[in-house]
Amino acid sequence: MRIHTYEKLWLAGSFVLIVGFIVTVTYGSVGLGIDMIGEEADGVSPDEISSDERFSEPRVEQVGENEYEVYVVAMTFIFQPDPIEVPANSEVTFYVTSRDVIHGFEVPGTNINSMAIPGQVAELTVEFDEPGTYGVICNEYCGPQHHTMEGSLVVTPEWEFSQTELEVDAPESVAQGDEIDLTATVSNGLLETHESTVNVTIGSQTTEQSITVDGESSENVSVTVDSDELGPGEHDWTVSVDDQEESGTITVGNETDTTESVPASVGTETVSVTMNPADPTRASRGVGYP
Amino acid sequence: MSRSGVARTIDHDEFDPIGTLALVVLYFVVLTVMWLFTYFVEFLGHGPTVVGLLPLG
Repeated sequence: MRIHTYEKLWLAGSFVLIVGFIVTVTYGSVGLGIDMIGEEADGVSPDEISSDERFSEPRVEQVGENEYEVYVVAMTFIFQPDPIEVPANSEVTFYVTSRDVIHGFEVPGTNINSMAIPGQVAELTVEFDEPGTYGVICNEYCGPQHHTMEGSLVVTPEWEFSQTELEVDAPESVAQGDEIDLTATVSNGLLETHESTVNVTIGSQTTEQSITVDGESSENVSVTVDSDELGPGEHDWTVSVDDQEESGTITVGNETDTTESVPASVGTETVSVTMNPADPTRASRGVGYP
Repeated sequence: MSRSGVARTIDHDEFDPIGTLALVVLYFVVLTVMWLFTYFVEFLGHGPTVVGLLPLG
C-alpha cells in the first residue's frame, strides 16, 4: 500500500496532537496534582446527619498545620456552615453531603464544583493560596427557591484567622454593694496556641487582659467590679475578643429592691395576673383591659 | 464551459493537493491553540482547583 506524503504528514500530526493531549493531562495530574472529586468518604444517610459526628455540626476544623477539613451540609435552600471561613495558604478538604434532595456545591469562577447527593459524601481537596471572598451556589435545580440558594466562602489572611469562641457568664442583677463577677470563657478551636486580648467593659469601666489559649482548649477570664462603683441602675457590659463579642445588661439594685423582687416571682396567682396584664389566658376569656 | 476530452494521467506522488494540506495544517494549528487555551488558561487559570490528597507541589 502506498501512502501519499501529505497523508503521512497529517497522520503523524494527528498522533502528535493525541500524544500532546495526553501529556498535558498527565502533567496536570502528576505535576500539579489535579484530581477528580472522590467519594472515598463513607456515605451518610440524610436522617442520620444529625447524629453523624462529621455532619451533625457543619464546621471548619483544623486537622494539621495548614490543613483544614470543612463539613458542608446542603439543604433546601441553604448551605451550612455559612460563611465558610478558612485561612489563606492552607489545604482544605471539603466533605459535602445533602440533607434532602440533590444540590450542587459550586464556587463560581473556580474549578471547585461538586454535586451534593443525599446519602453520599463528596470529598474534594483544594489549596487556597490567596485571601479572597468567593460565593457558593447550588447548580442543581432543587426546588422553587433554588435560585436563592447561595453561601459564601471567605479565605482570610493567615494572621487574621482564628477559631475563637466566646461565652460570657454574667449575673443579670446584683444587690447594691455586692461584687459583680463576670467570667468570659474563650475557647480556641485551632491546634496551635492562640494569643489574644480580651476587652471587658462594664458600665464605664474598661479592662483589657491578654490571654494565651492552648490549642483545642479554653481559658477563663474573670473580672470583678464592685457594684458601688457603678451605682444603682442598669449597666451595659460588653466582652470582646478577636471578632467575637458578647454583651448584656446588669441591674444594680439597692438591697430593699432585691428583697422585694423575691416574693414577686413566687407570688400567688392573683398577684401574677395583676402584674401581667398581657396574660393571653385572660384575654381569651374576654376580659377587657383599659 | 465544455469539458475537454483530454485526460492527463499523473503519478501517485505527483498529485499535489497543496490547498488541502494548508487547510489541514491550519486546522491542526487551531486545534492546538484551542487546546492550550482551554487547558492552561480557562482550566488552570481558574484556580483554586481540586487537587489530590497527595499533591506534589
